[in-house]
Amino acid sequence: PSPLSQAFPLPSLPRKQPTVLVVCGPAQNGAIGLVCARHLRIFDYEPTIFYPKRSPDPLYRDFTTQCEKMDIPFLSYLPTEVQLINDAYNAVVDAVLGAEAELGEGRGPCAGILATLKHVRIPIVSLDVPSGWDVEAGSSSGISPDVLVSLMAPKQCARRFLGRQHFVAGRFVPYDVQKKFELNPPEYPGTECVVPL
Amino acid sequence: QEEAQAIDQELFTEYKFSVDQLMELAGLSCATAIAKAYPPGSFTKSLPAVLVVCGPGNNGGDGLVCARHLKMFGYEPTVYYPKRPNKPLFEGLTTQCQKMDIPFLSEFPAEAALIDELYGLVVDAIFGFSFTGAVREPFGSILNTLEHVTVPVASIDIPSGWDVEKGKADGLQPDMLISLTAPKKAARHFAGRYHFLGGRFVPAALQKKYSLNLPPYPGTDCVLQLS
Repeated sequence: PSPLSQAFPLPSLPRKQPTVLVVCGPAQNGAIGLVCARHLRIFDYEPTIFYPKRSPDPLYRDFTTQCEKMDIPFLSYLPTEVQLINDAYNAVVDAVLGAEAELGEGRGPCAGILATLKHVRIPIVSLDVPSGWDVEAGSSSGISPDVLVSLMAPKQCARRFLGRQHFVAGRFVPYDVQKKFELNPPEYPGTECVVPL
Repeated sequence: QEEAQAIDQELFTEYKFSVDQLMELAGLSCATAIAKAYPPGSFTKSLPAVLVVCGPGNNGGDGLVCARHLKMFGYEPTVYYPKRPNKPLFEGLTTQCQKMDIPFLSEFPAEAALIDELYGLVVDAIFGFSFTGAVREPFGSILNTLEHVTVPVASIDIPSGWDVEKGKADGLQPDMLISLTAPKKAARHFAGRYHFLGGRFVPAALQKKYSLNLPPYPGTDCVLQLS
């Protein structure tokens, strides 16, 4: 949520209400989206979640409960009429598929969601990997996010990212792990948990 | 004290937060507050060395999380953790610290003067808001020593050894207090320089229900300086 508020600070939002649509996929990337939505709520945004395929994982189910109890609405369907999304929200958080997604998953049950997201005109913030992109090669026909938040370190496909802002987040990787995997993350300023690239 | 416990209970049973989640956010708040009040460059010693004293319960767990984040922020924390609960949560937190090369002392520095020599700050993560009754060893002696250090002490949630509501006039007098969720009654007796609020996870509905009347946190910060 911190990159989102850096890229789209509350006073700058075009709509009267600070509404954000958070689209959550069925696995870990979606769960991160749920946590993000909760913190956005604490930061006084008005998130709405679309979470069509809920994970049975108890941890992720608890994330869902936390959001529900904080009065974050869950949509029962995603409008296919893209203008409805453009009108209702200031931005979309793409937490559909992450780096663990398998090739071709973009053609599976998430395909419909991704097809809609490809056509929204409001900014998209993708978590870790723009959903539907191949984690190494990227995608020429997939969604085009405005903001990318790489988790721990940028994935190879980030080279193809053409949007406005690229952040690295996830300030928890111990130094020896960073070294071992040659992550070379940029230096986080002060106590910030995100850093713009 | 009862209200604080009631809020905690609701967070766990109604909202389904896990202890891990809230402890991580609490510990991160503590490290962030410390970094704001005592930035690494402000230490007079050559290294920004911090001693983190962890008690036997959740306050100790907050201390372990805090130590880990202090390391990420460029400090050199050392932990003293004499009574470790046999639970995966605390074992995991300990492992995370150890794997990040945070040393664990096998014995507590014998004298306050030694602590003053070695460290620029002490984090008191011994007892929290659930504390009642008498202080058991080794924490009695530890608190005695801490009462005589001259380097600043930052207490997590409650200055250890204080009555959670009434304070303790002849007890530990920390320089910093990081109140978690909301200040406890004892905070009225806090006389140190820095009072921060941390633990930015209480949903608006709960804040209302318990009339917490918390001032707003700045932007996306996880801490708020109260004084």
